[in-house]
Amino acid sequence: MNTPRNHEPPPLRSSSPRFRGHPEMTTLDIQDLRVAVPVRWGSKTILDGVSLTIAPGEALGLVGESGSGKTTSLRAVVGLLPRGATRSGTIHVNGTDIGTLSKAELRRFRGTQTAVVFQDPRAHINPLRSVGDFLLENLVEVQRKPRAEAERTVRGLLVDVGITDPERRMRQKPYELSGGLLQRVMIAAAMAAEPSLLLADEPTTALDVTTQEEVMAILDEQRKARGLAMLFVSHDLDLADAVCDRIAVMKDGRIVEELGAEGLRQQASHDYTKALIAARPRLQVSVPSGRPYDEKPAAAPLLEVAELRKVYRVRPATGTGHEDLVAVDSISFGLPRAGSLAIVGESGSGKSTTARMIVGLAQPTSGRIVVDGDEWQPGRLSSAERRRRGRLVQMVFQDPYSSLDRRQSAQDCLREALAVHGHLPKKQRDQRVAELLDQVGLTAEQGRALPRSLSGGQRQRVAIARALAADPSVLILDEAVSALDVSVQAQVLELLDRIRRELDVALLFISHDLPVVQQISDDVLVMHRGEVVESGAVNDVLSAPREDYTRRLIDSVPREGWQPRRRRTTPAAPDPVEVP
Amino acid sequence: MSAELALSPRRPLLLRRFAGVSPVIVVAGTVLALIVLAALLAPLIAPYDPNAVDLMSPYEGSSPAHWLGTDASGRDILSRLLYGARISLAGPALVIACSMTAGVLLALVAAWCGGKVDAVISRLIEVLFAFPGLILAVVAVAVFGAGFWAPVVALSIAYVPMVARILRSVALRERNLPYVAALQIQGVPAPRIAVRHLLPNLMPMITVQAGIGFAYAMLDLAAISYLGLGLQPPTADWGVMVAEGQSSIIEGYPQESLYAAGAVLVTVVCLNLVSGWVAERYDVRGAEL
Repeated sequence: MNTPRNHEPPPLRSSSPRFRGHPEMTTLDIQDLRVAVPVRWGSKTILDGVSLTIAPGEALGLVGESGSGKTTSLRAVVGLLPRGATRSGTIHVNGTDIGTLSKAELRRFRGTQTAVVFQDPRAHINPLRSVGDFLLENLVEVQRKPRAEAERTVRGLLVDVGITDPERRMRQKPYELSGGLLQRVMIAAAMAAEPSLLLADEPTTALDVTTQEEVMAILDEQRKARGLAMLFVSHDLDLADAVCDRIAVMKDGRIVEELGAEGLRQQASHDYTKALIAARPRLQVSVPSGRPYDEKPAAAPLLEVAELRKVYRVRPATGTGHEDLVAVDSISFGLPRAGSLAIVGESGSGKSTTARMIVGLAQPTSGRIVVDGDEWQPGRLSSAERRRRGRLVQMVFQDPYSSLDRRQSAQDCLREALAVHGHLPKKQRDQRVAELLDQVGLTAEQGRALPRSLSGGQRQRVAIARALAADPSVLILDEAVSALDVSVQAQVLELLDRIRRELDVALLFISHDLPVVQQISDDVLVMHRGEVVESGAVNDVLSAPREDYTRRLIDSVPREGWQPRRRRTTPAAPDPVEVP
Repeated sequence: MSAELALSPRRPLLLRRFAGVSPVIVVAGTVLALIVLAALLAPLIAPYDPNAVDLMSPYEGSSPAHWLGTDASGRDILSRLLYGARISLAGPALVIACSMTAGVLLALVAAWCGGKVDAVISRLIEVLFAFPGLILAVVAVAVFGAGFWAPVVALSIAYVPMVARILRSVALRERNLPYVAALQIQGVPAPRIAVRHLLPNLMPMITVQAGIGFAYAMLDLAAISYLGLGLQPPTADWGVMVAEGQSSIIEGYPQESLYAAGAVLVTVVCLNLVSGWVAERYDVRGAEL
């Protein structure tokens, strides 16, 4: 076990004498925590003997894949377990056993000793009340501070988290703030209670990578300045590595290994940890491709997009009438046969809209889409025309849960896709279904299963098989691996790469994830606010970015030796605009 | 985890399916089934002809000969209740069948086409909403005359907006899921997507709506019969029976109204319980997905 590497344990800050601990005491001490939840028949073990301690001022990263029990561990500390869950083992916070607290004491304990920052800030703030109300609530209602003093405190806190105009923000409603700004508000709210333990549950997972860096930098800075202990739950080993003193790796409700954050990769001894490290592609920024990139490659690319533009008519945030929102601004690119091109960008950059226009789910405002020498006319598509295009271009979506009909088994889904593109005799069709399942690495038994009994990765394989049923030349992958755990992600990426090589399918990869893009793609297009800011061979762009935005994007990616830094003094986050 | 999940493999399917269902729901479901069965088998199990008048024995109390007694004309109340169940259940069933079909169709078209089509259908629904069902039924009776059909047709129309509005919002959510987009990209024709994919996924919601609507329709039809605008005496119908028994209450013989009203009450309460249970199960399933 390591000692905190950052600073001396600071004095405990606690406003309630009832819970005050001794300086030598650990801030969080979990011993043999077991949690089970009732399922339809019997119960399911979620935590199977978790023990961990966090010293004052220390940060522990709890890392694992979905279903490993990391979030449940965090929620157990504040008594937020699912209904009907049974719990054994002890949890001490500053020496107080939270199992012995009455309901009222537990509430007070939560309000004064701990603070939680959740993944989705928007789901954890009352949308009808102002940001100021939300921030003042704990100070006024729980800590019984006079209102004027509380307001002063809150203004100070907002400035601390990098919000330059606290008065205006306090008057605003949550929907007027962007996700990154709202997460800063949540951090300020967490600090307001002057807790000694900060619980952060994937606080930046829903944010863009550049925003993630800002928010992480602020969280890290505030935590260190206030000497808080932190339990940091994340699926991202690199990110946890950057902001924590120690890392605990969880799998199936157990902590399989605990490591000091420094030299994590060298120390890792457990197979699972090693696999986790190996599965995540590492961003390499100094390997030029050594091959020329041509903006208009190969005489006749398979897919050619020219001056493509999409303008949405939106209602402005203030005033009446409408204004134009340019989602995609005159972009052009070409994708050669069996090529691999990635479009990277943050949310709102127009990358998904581009994909949707190519498959005909959205109508371009202007511009040309040429596939295999055939210019696709805009306008309402008949299903015959859609079928014709479907045999050339197919798409796989991000969310493996909602991209399959939940009442249809995998093989029925494939049969239907095959039936659309021509009538095969039953025997041949079933043979082709088996072939498709085999191509994406699913067993016949998995083929008979309904989506709900398949994992996220298996579902995504079904979605890929469905796209392949039409035998397309281009496969568009709209964040197709973003929702998957790293180990599953690695397998799906491998599958996609094999499909490209063996079936000569060109991949258009829409993603925000640079390391993944570097692994799967040859060329890359960086989009920012609807425009292409830079394009080229992936390794060239990553090793020698020409544009500041690209550089910022690259610098924000957590990797070995990376530390989050605040790059902006003022939050330049625009108010969110709803795209219809 | 798998060992625990694999518990109770040997129990019969039916028992396993209903394991953990609250006893209240089981009772409500059983009662409903019995009522439907009684309606179907009325000619076989009713002890008397529902319209056989026996002027010598009016207002009899419960006896082995007449389990629930007799009414002012000496007709056997139990037999009238059993026969009454047929028409009292058939009316709402027709209303629900018609309004559900129209409502589902409107909801699917609105959700699929969106834009102007959706706007027109939505406004139409709102206009229809402005007419209370009962008033519409009264107007229909005034125009077409009293009887079975006028109120049924009127209520069928009156219930469409309720059904269509709720299903439209559910269908809209479903329509925007990526799997629908994937089917579109494949080139599956829109009607096929609607019938083969959207409809089955909306089925739980449709079932819930049908259950609640049935209870409402039953109450409304009984009220119309009670007001004398629907079925006419001497037809054996629960609403008619409540109305007919009214005068007997003053004479000190409340049994006819009481039993008929009780039958309506029990049916409606059981239906509400069962459809509420279906809704809850649907929610639980939805959370799993």
